[in-house]
This record gives sequence, C-alpha cells and structure tokens, in this order.
Amino acid sequence: MKIRTTKYIIKEGFINAYKNKLMSLASLSIITASLIIFGVFFLAAVNLRHNIRTLEEQPEIQVFCYLELDETQINIIEEDIKGNPYVREYKAVSKREAFEKVKTEMFDGKESVLEGLDESIMPVSYIIKLEDSSKSREVVEHYRGLSGVEKVSYPQQAIDFISRITYWIPLISSLLLGILLLVSMLIISNTIKLTVFARRREINIMKYIGATDWFIRWPFIVEGVIIGIVGAVFAFAVVGYGYNALEGRITEDMAKIGVDIIKIVGIKDIAIQIVGIYCLIGVAVGAVGSFISIRKYLQV
Amino acid sequence: MYSKVVEVKNVTKRYPNGTVALKNVSVKINKGEFAFIIGSSGSGKSTLIKMILKEENPTEGDVFINGYEVSAMRRKDIPVLRRSLGIVFQDFRLLPGKTVYENVAFAMQIVEALPKEIRRQVPMALALVGISRKANAYPGQLSGGEQQRVALARALVNNPSLLVADEPTGNLDPENSWEIMRLLNEINQRGTTVVIATHEKYIVDAMRKRVVVLDKGILVRDQQKGLYGDEDKNYQIHN
Repeated sequence: MKIRTTKYIIKEGFINAYKNKLMSLASLSIITASLIIFGVFFLAAVNLRHNIRTLEEQPEIQVFCYLELDETQINIIEEDIKGNPYVREYKAVSKREAFEKVKTEMFDGKESVLEGLDESIMPVSYIIKLEDSSKSREVVEHYRGLSGVEKVSYPQQAIDFISRITYWIPLISSLLLGILLLVSMLIISNTIKLTVFARRREINIMKYIGATDWFIRWPFIVEGVIIGIVGAVFAFAVVGYGYNALEGRITEDMAKIGVDIIKIVGIKDIAIQIVGIYCLIGVAVGAVGSFISIRKYLQV
Repeated sequence: MYSKVVEVKNVTKRYPNGTVALKNVSVKINKGEFAFIIGSSGSGKSTLIKMILKEENPTEGDVFINGYEVSAMRRKDIPVLRRSLGIVFQDFRLLPGKTVYENVAFAMQIVEALPKEIRRQVPMALALVGISRKANAYPGQLSGGEQQRVALARALVNNPSLLVADEPTGNLDPENSWEIMRLLNEINQRGTTVVIATHEKYIVDAMRKRVVVLDKGILVRDQQKGLYGDEDKNYQIHN
C-alpha cells in the first residue's frame, strides 16, 4: 500500500468517526463501560494477589504465656524466642497493652463491663514474625511444647484459605474477563454493524467503481480503532481517578485503626499496565468489531 | 489494444429461481463504438449489463471485457476490471458524505493516483460535464441532472476505454436527459466506447446509433443506425 493511500485511509477513518457522531458515541459508551468494568475486576485481582503474597510472606504467630507465670518464667520464654534462628523479629505484648487493646477494641464505649477488672486477667504474649513462612509449622509445634506456654495462635486455616484463593482467583478472574470481553466485542461489533448498515449503499458504490475490499475496509477499521483508543482513555480517566481516591481513603482509614496487613497497590505502580491493556483491548475490539461487521456488505 | 471492447459469446443466464434472463446471446462491440442495448423491462438488458460489470456470472457462455475473461475472473480481481470501466447508473450512486469534487477524486484515490494528477484531472472532468461551479456542493444539494453529470465526471476521470451506462436518463426529465446524452456522445467522439442500456424510445430514435435489441432474453435485432422499434421506413425525430 502506498503512503498516500495510508494517509487517505487514516484521514477517512477520522472523518467517518466524526461524521457518524451518534454511532461513534454509542460504540464509545459501550467500549468505555466494558473497560471500566474490566478495570474494576482487574484492580481487584491485582490487589488480592498482592495482599495474598504479603500475607503469605509474613504469617504472624502469637505465643500466649500462662496467666500465672512470674517474670523469670516469662523471661525464659522470651530468651527462647530471641534465640530462635527462624524468628526474624518479635514483639512482646505486656499485660497492660493487652488489656488496653481489649478495652478499646472489644468494649469501646462499654468499658463499664470491665469494671473491677484489671490487667491481671490478660496474659503476656509474643508476636513473632518468621524469616521463612515454610518453617511456621515447626516453630508453632516448638512453642506448643514449651512449658509455660498456654497456647500458640497461628492463622493456619486463614493461610490455607488464602492459598486456595490464590489458586482460584486468577482462574475465576480470567474467566470473568474473558466473558466480559466477548460480550463487549459482540455489542461493539453490533453497533458498528449498525453504522455499516447505514452506509451499506456507500460501500456498494465504492465496490462498483472498483475499490478493493481492503480499501473499503481500512477506514472502518481505523474508525473502530479510534473509538477503541478514545474509549480506553476515558475508561482510564474514570478508573484511575476513582481508584486513586479510593486508595487514599482506604490507606488513611487503615492507618487510623492501626491495621497494616492490607496494602492497596498504588495507582502509579499499575497505571502503565492498565493503559497498555486498555489500549490493546480497545484497538483489538474496535478493529475486530469493524472487520466482522463489514464482511457481509463487501460481497458485491 | 483489443479491437473488441465487449465480447459476449453464447451467453445464457438462468437465475436460481428458474427465470431465464438471457438465451444464447452473442454481441461484439468494437473500440470506439456507441451502442444502445434496448428492450422493455424483463428483456434481459440489465442482466447483460450486470455481466459486463461482473455482478452476475453467465450460466453458460463467456464474457470478455477489455481483454479480461470476465466470466472466469476471480473475486479478488473484480476491482481491476471495474477500474478499467466507467460506470453510470440510473440512480447516480454518488457518495452522500463527499462533495462533488471529492466524489470524482475518490475514483482516482482508489487507483492510487498521484495527488498532483488528482488535482489536475478532477477539475478537467468537472469542466467537461459543466459542473465546475458546484465542486464544493454535496450531492444532496444538486438536482438529478447535476448529480448525473457528477456521476459522469466520476466515470470519466480515469480515462476508461469503456463507459457503461445503465438507464442513465431513467430518473431525469427530457431536458436533462438530452444533456446527458449529448455528453455521452461527446465522450464517445473522444474515443471512449460507450454502451448504454435504455428504454427511452425518443432518445434512441433521435440519435440513430447502433441498437442491440433484446426481448425476453433473446437477441432479436442488432442494427447500425437503428431505431427503437422496427419501423425504419417512417421514423420521426422526437424532441
């Protein structure tokens, strides 16, 4: 194809997209909506995967001592933890701290229930983080067997559950994305079909004066691609802005309640990824949609 | 060059519904000729035109246009055939979203002509059919006669060796019809072969060109300087 023909085709694609404003707008809304929905799923999947990884990396083990232990006995346990090669870091939770935590977290506003009680009802405990999560079972068993330890809490079930989710999430999310893309492709190709149907006479005339199929097809494909890219930009603007706001709020809220387990992936880290995927999908859906829709009317 | 621009050899066309549109028709049209294909509706003249444009294939027989064996042509080669023809239709078939100038230029863009060539040829074609003043108008803003003149300019702009017109005056009043016929005649004088399907008796009778007469799919008469009806002895000029 000659350069001037390429130029003609691109120009024609833009002119057509503009002249058929209504149809372009219809296609544009659908592609934007689909990409937004897709984006929500995508971001949810990214965040889940990210958080699961962090959770897997740092399972917390909490070792509770018997209530009635004295300081020397407690120190023995602490020394053991300190000397354990698998332990990366540990934090002691004193009776007072534990009591305060219960008071604020469980009986907030109803402190009267705890009247007459003091910190002595709470055990001393140690929160342990491991170097290597695969050693967790070993470490848990060790402390369960240690004298003076009442119980060891370890989110075994949670971790099992998370591992199971980690396995299923990508499968389910890709299945959902696949269905979503297929549906938007169908809707878009139908919308373009309407455009093409409205212009079937035009296509017919072009055929009669000797235009090749590709000469007719290309401007439609360019038109589809333009709509796809504009849709991608709109969708990214909406998703990016919304996500950024949400991310700020969630991070802030979590900082307030002192939870740092869940981390929201920053928009900057995935913006390029999303833009890339959006443009790719927009271009593919627009091009394929045009290609499918025009086929029927080229048979003259 | 091929001396025979159109050669239809023993062509029979049977449509899937059983209608036989043409029965063993043979016609040769030489370079530089001006021929009317005439007949009432249902006579098969539209089918004959469709075969020249490769819109339909013959059931039996062969069609050669400008040396191409059209009947055996593959689908992807059809544009090559159509570019070597100028085609004019009863309903003009201009692109509604393009101006007069762009409509004519489009025929040249299809054949990937140089922009310089396009800028030179299009005004010439528009001038030839006398529509230069309306170059920036859209087809919807033009009268039927004007639209047909634009269609004629588009058919001419690539200098085809054969111009095929299917009922070119079918939607026009007599005055505009004569104008179109005058232009077609002028084009013919410049060396282009012209084939016109029509059922306008007064035009055929006045112009006294070659007539190829079809009736119910059968070639009944092929006569130089013929009349519409077989009344050669006492014809009158209709104006």
